[in-house]
Parts: sequence; C-alpha cells; structure tokens
Amino acid sequence: MLKIKDLRVSYGKLKVLKGVNLEIKEGECLGVIGESGTGKTTLALSIMRLVDEDSSASLEGEIFFQEKNLMEMDEEMIRKIRWNSISIVFQNKEDALNPVHTILDQVKEPIMENGGESKKEATEKAIHLLSQVGLASRCIKAYPHQLSEGEKQRSLLAMALANDPEVLILDEPVSSLDTTSKADMITKIKRLSRGYSVLVVTHDISTVAKLTDRVAVLYGGRIVELASTPLLLSNPRHPYTRGLLRSYPNMTTTKDLQGMKGRMQPVEKGCPFYPRCTQVVDVCKRKNPELQKIGERFLACHRGGILPFLKVKNLTKYFDSFRAVDSVCLTLYEGETLGLVGESGAGKTTLAKSIMGLFHSEGEIYLEGEKVGERDKKFYKTVQMIFQNPRESLSHRLNVLEAVREPLDIYKIGSFRQRSQKVEQTLTEVELPSDEEFLDRYPHHLSGGEIQRVVIARALVLDPKLLIADEPTSFLDASIQAKIVRLLLNLQEKRGLGLLFITHDIALARKVSDRLVVMLKGKIVEEGPTPQILSSPSHPYTRNLLRVAPTLT
Amino acid sequence: MNLKRKITNYGIAFLIILSLNFLLPRLMPGTPLTAIYGEEVLVQMTPEFKASLIKRFALDEPLYKQFIFYIFSLFRGDLGYSYYQSGSVFQIILAHLPWTFLLVGFSLILSTIGGIILGIESGWRRGKITDKAILTGMMTLSGFPSFFMGIMLLLFFAVNLGLFPLQGARTPYADIYGIWLVLDVVKHFILPLAALVLVEVSGCYLLTRNTMIMTLRKSFILTAKAKGLPDKKVRYRHAGRNSLLPVVTRTGIKLGTAVTGALFIEIIFSYPGVGNLIYSSLLMRDYPVLQGTLLMVAIFVLAANFFVDLIYKKLDPRVQNAY
Repeated sequence: MLKIKDLRVSYGKLKVLKGVNLEIKEGECLGVIGESGTGKTTLALSIMRLVDEDSSASLEGEIFFQEKNLMEMDEEMIRKIRWNSISIVFQNKEDALNPVHTILDQVKEPIMENGGESKKEATEKAIHLLSQVGLASRCIKAYPHQLSEGEKQRSLLAMALANDPEVLILDEPVSSLDTTSKADMITKIKRLSRGYSVLVVTHDISTVAKLTDRVAVLYGGRIVELASTPLLLSNPRHPYTRGLLRSYPNMTTTKDLQGMKGRMQPVEKGCPFYPRCTQVVDVCKRKNPELQKIGERFLACHRGGILPFLKVKNLTKYFDSFRAVDSVCLTLYEGETLGLVGESGAGKTTLAKSIMGLFHSEGEIYLEGEKVGERDKKFYKTVQMIFQNPRESLSHRLNVLEAVREPLDIYKIGSFRQRSQKVEQTLTEVELPSDEEFLDRYPHHLSGGEIQRVVIARALVLDPKLLIADEPTSFLDASIQAKIVRLLLNLQEKRGLGLLFITHDIALARKVSDRLVVMLKGKIVEEGPTPQILSSPSHPYTRNLLRVAPTLT
Repeated sequence: MNLKRKITNYGIAFLIILSLNFLLPRLMPGTPLTAIYGEEVLVQMTPEFKASLIKRFALDEPLYKQFIFYIFSLFRGDLGYSYYQSGSVFQIILAHLPWTFLLVGFSLILSTIGGIILGIESGWRRGKITDKAILTGMMTLSGFPSFFMGIMLLLFFAVNLGLFPLQGARTPYADIYGIWLVLDVVKHFILPLAALVLVEVSGCYLLTRNTMIMTLRKSFILTAKAKGLPDKKVRYRHAGRNSLLPVVTRTGIKLGTAVTGALFIEIIFSYPGVGNLIYSSLLMRDYPVLQGTLLMVAIFVLAANFFVDLIYKKLDPRVQNAY
C-alpha cells in the first residue's frame, strides 16, 4: 500500500532521517517507536509531504503510494492525496484544532472540500463520525477550548476518517491522555481503523503492543529493528530496543527500571547507537549497519544484535557416580541478567564453578562465539565470579588494598601507581571509601555489606564483561541487599555487564533478571523471559517455587 | 451576566468623564466664566449678557445643583455657546462631524481591509520576494508623517497636475444637486482620503503580517494543510481568521480617536471636519467648542471600545470565558 524507500530528511544541516525503508501492507497496522528526537514525527509528516512546509527542510528518497511516487507529485496532486487517500491523526498538543471554528465545522471542512458532498450531506457525515468516536452530542458544536483532552483527541480521530482514506497515520494518538481515556481511545482506534492501512508513530510501547501487527524501532533517523510486535516486545535483539523496553514502566516486566548509558547524540559516521552501545567494536564507529533480515526479523547491527556472550552446551558434572549437573544448556546474552533459580543441592553452584573451570566437567562452553578449552588468563579477564560466602573468599592476611589489587598484580596491568588508582576507582564505583584508613583494613574489620562490596570490587577490577554471582546477597540484610543489587544493575546499565545471578530466592530473581532458568536436581526444567515464567509457569516445581515465594499478605 | 456588567462599567466610565468635563473649568482660578470664555471676552461683554450667561450655566447655584443642571442641559443637546462663532456648540460640532465621519470612516475601512489583506499575503510568503517588496514599501510609507504625505499629494495631483481641487469639501456656492453633488464631494475627498489611507495602512499591515507569521507556526495550520485544503482557505479561513484579533483591537482604538485623527490632513486640505474645528478653536481659544469636542471624543472612544468587545466574542469564542 505504502512503500518508503531510502527516505532522507534534513532541516538545514541537521539530518533527521538518514535512509528509512518501510512498507505498510494493505490492512496492516505498523508501529514506529523511538524516543523524542529520533525523527518519528518527521517520518509521519514526510509521507504526507508536509515537511516541505519548513523551508529549511530537504527531502530525498521515494515514497510509493499504490505504485505512484509521492515525491514526484506537484503541490496540486499532493493536495488531492492528502486526507482523501492518506490522512493523519495529530497529537492533541497546543492547537492541533483551530480555536476559532467549531468541532463540527472542522470535521466537515475536508468532506466539503475534497469529497464533493453537499453541505447537508457533509454535516450528516461529520455528525455520524463524531458520534462513532463517542463524542457527546453537546460537544459537536462546541469550540475546541470547551472540550477535554480526550474529547479533542477523539475529534481529531473523527476528522482523520472524514474522507475515507486508505492510509491512516496516527502521530502519538494517546500520549496526551490519562490512562483511562488512553485505554478508551485505543479501543476506539482499534475498532474504527479496521480495514485501513495504519501507521502508528509513538514513544508509548504499550500503545504499540495493543494496536500494531509489526513494529519498527527508530533511532537516530534509522530503523534499527523491525519485527512482528509480539516477537519484538518479548525478545528484543537490538541493544537499543532492549534498553527502550527496560526503561518502560509496565505491568508485564518485573525487572527494575534501567536506562541506557549516555544520551542521544547525533552521529556523523557509523551506527547511530554506538556511543550508547555496550558491545561496540571498531566497525561500529566506522560504518553504518544496513537493515538485514535475520530469521524472522530485520536488524541493523554489525554484531547481529545482542551477542550471545556465554553459551553452555550439554554441561555434565559427576561427583563419583552422582550426576550433580545433568547436560545443562544455557545462553547468556551481552548486558543481560540470567537468573538461575533452584533449591540448595540443585547443582547451581556446581554449574557456576564448572563454567569457571574450577571443576572438571564434560560438555562445551563458548565465550563470545569461541570455544573455551583450558581456562586461561584471557578467560578470567572476561569472566569473574563472586562466591557465595564473601568472608571466606577473602584472604584474612590481605588488607583491602592488597585484596582488590591482587588481580591487577597477577595480570601485571599498569604501573604500581596506576594499579592503586584503579583500586581506588573501583572502590568508589562500588560505593566504598577509598581513603588510606579503609585501604589498610583487614577483612575482620569489615561489616558484611562492606566485605561483599570488597569482593565485588575485586571481581570488577579487571573490567570483566561477565560476572557470575553465586548468592551474592544471601548473607546480607535486606537493606544492604537492595543496595548491592542496585549496584550490579547500575554496572550493567553502564558497561553492559552480563550477570549470571544465582539465587534460591525467586522474588529477588524476579527483580533483577531479564530471563530465568529454573534448575532442579541438576537439570534445567524451565527457561524463558522472566515475565512469561512468572505468569505462566509450566513445570510443577516452578509453580511450587512461586507459591512459597515471600509475600506481604 | 457579562453584558449587564459591561454596560454598568461603561456607564461608570462615562459618568467620570462627564464629571471631569464639568469640574475642570470650575477648578480653574478666577470665576468659571473667565475659565470658560477667557478674560478678553468678558471685558467686551455687556452686563446683561454676562448675567444671562451666569443664569444659563446656573453659576449662582451650589455645585451639586450646577452639576444636575449641567447634566440636564447635556441631555437637551446643550453643550454651551460659542461666543466667537455665535452659535450653539452642539450645532457647530454637528456641522463638522459628517465630514470627519466620511473621511475617517472610509480611510479606516480601506486602510484596515488593505492592511489585513496585504499583511496576510505578505506573512504567508514570508521571506519571498513579494513579501520583501511589500514590506519595504510599507516601511517607507510608515516613515512619512501624515501632513507630509498630504502636502506631497496636494502638490503633485492638485497643484501640478490640477486633477483635484486644492481645498474644501465641495465647490463653494456651486448650485449643483443629486449625482453631481456626490461627484463633487468625492472629487474633494479623494486626496485627503488617499493621504490618510497611505499613512494608516502600514500600521495595520505590519501588525497583521506579524500576527500572521506567529499564527502560521501553530499546529492547526499543519492540520489544515494536511486536510488537503487549498492554500487560499488555509491562508484566510485558518491563519487569517486567527490573526485578526490584534488588528481588531487596533482598529477599535483608531475608531475612538478617529474624530481627531485626521487633524493634520483636514488642516492641509482645509477640510471642514472636526479636526479643522479643533484647530480653529485652539487658535481662537474658543474653550466651549474645545470642551464640547473633548466630550464628543470621549464618548466615541467608549463606544468604540464597547463595539470592539462585542466583535471580539464573534471572532474568538475563547474570549467569552476569559473574564
């Protein structure tokens, strides 16, 4: 129905859209999500050739509507396309409706202008449309300032439907509304837009989830991911999409809200997301990735989306004849928390230690796609572990400075001065003091929370990309536990730290994990995105775990 | 509610103006008669005439009675008596008013309509060559004082080309009627009208253009364009209509001062309007006429304001709730 090819729009020197390709199929509802400033509205206006109105704007590319190129049309032809074939529901902000004309007049206007109906017919049609969107009859002849936000938005919807267009564009159709009116509006849109080809442009992910069949993610003027809505929302593969979903408060996901590092900034060269991405390699800064089909979705990422960072295949560990871990397979993605839940004796710690190479085991382990044999220094530089009992995992003969510096000494990183600086920096990062007095302390001088932080600092001092945290908070009070968990999540946001979070506490796992793995008697019995496992657990053991999980009632 | 309250407000304002007009000559040093007619006049008066004047203004009564008396005479249309022109002030003003109305009325209508249309067209094409040309022209025009413009037109069209009469509102002592009289009047008032319109139009134009540019940035303009409306409808029905408010305010204010607005032009063209009357009264120190004109002007200002308030509601529905 509508095909956009390599659309580029810039205002003066500011490039807003940098080559967007999109297709809206007949009868389909396509969503475009992205933060403000990514060029969503520009995209919507470009389709109607309304950006031309800004004299500094320049448009390149092709937009085909029913095989006709809109970009080659003159003003008069475009005017006939507008509202008759493609219409738009503007966001109700400032004065989207003219303050000096009544609602009825404004809805009637395009019908009379383009539809060729008589005044009486136009009035009847307008009234019919307005009652269809649920506008009370007292509002029909009112002026915009006499209506509520919801009523204005509904009038805008009625207006867009006035000339029975083929394509309907909705620009932030519910963003100005409160939750109740929003739900109501979404139902109305859903009912009335049936049969139209619809483009929904919004930053509101829940609107996209409720309305659209497919969704495209726009960042820095480029589409970075495009897939069917349920797939994209349950399993985002572009780091930006994941970040967007993580920062969106909703009733489905349970993990604490997380942002993305840095802020949106214009990028001259390379992938638009690279300044904020945590898995950047050289090529990301040099070349912009093309949108490519990968499986069921389209993705623009040099690294093929979020990397599977650690892959464990058929890992099995025997203690004599006892099978502690039984052909376990799991994947941990870059910057993700994988919660490993199970009761004591399920084999969680054995699995962790096997991955670390502390136990000999059978099976294969891949790190960043490469098979891991002997665990060498390179491996430990990337993967670090926090052990279950922090007090025992620190040597009582080393003070804080020595304990945290030890990995740097082993790896011979930097000069003595640089090492001390790095230690101080890492201690600050885990919110510990870094003064002489504290550096001199020995483990038995420290409280439980402090000692856990020192252990975390020691694990982080090598800047690993993956942290295996074995019950990192089971010895701590709830208030300290909250802080430590927050700390780990912040590091994840900042550096893209991957976490294998081992715990017996599903209530805690729920708040920190993107995905959950449930382990029972050395086997993985259930695996999936956290909200899915929590809302519809399939294994009886998981159901039991959820039943006995702590509640306040 | 609003209309009632509004009328009360205007009534109060009117009363205050009346009181000031009544009090001012009586607050001046000397007797009220000196203040009203001036020293020299009184010297020449006969005692009988003086007594009749005192009686006429009830100057021998206490102040409140004088005031009541004053109000009553006002309602009878008695604004006083001009010693110089030996006639009732009311009659004198009434004789000059129609000429001013004719001149100022037409110039206001023409300059406002012209200013609005030019402003809308120019604002719509902001930055284009048409806009720049109109803008430059208007800026130049707005630099001319009205008397200068009048003199230029007079010199060129009346003196050099001899196309129009030099002065007055009609040919004196000409014995013409009907259509010929109308033509004669039109011929006389074209030059002063042109001078006024040329001077006034730029103000209205600049204001309209400015508001137009602001209005064009509003989102409903985008909505109108998206609706596929032809440019003309976007320009006038949506942008123009919303740019009218400040122009109406301005025209309203102009309307109030219209009676005196054409002063310079009337003097240059010796046009027998209120402006000319004020000028000659000032020269003669004909205070009763001046005072009467002042009252007249005040009433016009009030009426114009009232009128603008009413129009506002029609133009912008939001104003109804904006009290």
